[in-house]
Amino acid sequence: MAYIIALSLLLGLIIGFVLPINIPFSYAPYLSVAILAALDSVFGGIRASFEEKFDNLIFITGFFGNIILAGGLAYIGDVLGVPIYLAAVFVFGSRLFSNFAYIRRYLIDRMRRR
Amino acid sequence: MKKGFSIYISIALVSLVLGIMLSTQFKIVKKGGVVTAQRAEELATQLKQLQSEKEALLKQISELEAKINAYEDSASKNSVITQTLKSEVEKYKELAGLTDLQGPGVIVTVNDSKQPVPPGQDPNLFLVHDEDLLRIVNELRAAGAEAISLNDQRLIATSEIRCVGPTVVVNSVRFAAPYVIKAIGDPDTLEAALKLKGGVVDSLATWGIEVNIKKSDKIVIKKYDGVLKFRYAKPLVEGEKK
Repeated sequence: MAYIIALSLLLGLIIGFVLPINIPFSYAPYLSVAILAALDSVFGGIRASFEEKFDNLIFITGFFGNIILAGGLAYIGDVLGVPIYLAAVFVFGSRLFSNFAYIRRYLIDRMRRR
Repeated sequence: MKKGFSIYISIALVSLVLGIMLSTQFKIVKKGGVVTAQRAEELATQLKQLQSEKEALLKQISELEAKINAYEDSASKNSVITQTLKSEVEKYKELAGLTDLQGPGVIVTVNDSKQPVPPGQDPNLFLVHDEDLLRIVNELRAAGAEAISLNDQRLIATSEIRCVGPTVVVNSVRFAAPYVIKAIGDPDTLEAALKLKGGVVDSLATWGIEVNIKKSDKIVIKKYDGVLKFRYAKPLVEGEKK
């Protein structure tokens, strides 16, 4: 599992660097919020797989749904002049940390049981 | 087994997308699109350094000028010719705006409108522009002002008054509102010229731009402190063939 994540992440990084994907500068803030959402989904997926509650459909829809929602909300916030992206940063950031805490605890538990 | 396999595929796909997004974002940031706090701080210290350097150079200029003055003084004591030459030089310096001057005149303070901008109106109309300042200066000149300064920048033959973004540049120095125009001349004439019915102050008042005119018996106008040098223009000698 960890190998798969690491390998495909590396592959994605290489693809992104090699391919001339260019996003207009004005969209950069939306992309950063979307990245946060994506990171949250991945951590959530790892946690769910440790808890053996992993559901493929939920994982995939959560990933793309979160990205679109975060980017879209940030865009709408920009249009309305309300910094909604702060909400996305806050929520996804705190969830990232709590997910990481679960993963850490799970791993430590497993190590101690051995 | 089949279910486990599809899970791996989805995780791989998600990580792939995440990787592409991360590298794209990294590329954008590396291009210097986003100004980081660190970079801003760096630039700020650079600016500060240059400003102190400029201050030092200005000080040097004034020191050297004092030295020149001393030389001229001592030279003028030697003979009548140099004395008359010096007085001649003084006269031209005054005319060119290279000496501090004092005399009666007016102090005109121009500030942006404090009226709320009605919806649908261009907010630009309620700000002071280069044109407004130029009109005021022009009116003062027409009324016989002998020396004019804008925010202590002496207006000489080559001075510009120009909008740069929300600021106005005079003699390559930037200023924001309020603008203080000092002019030496007959105070009553200068004030009357500005306050003409349908004149500058009248038309600016339409937008609520504040123009405050204060008459004074003693106004000090600083000299032009830039460098005056012609790089392209040469004097045309009378009778010389082209």
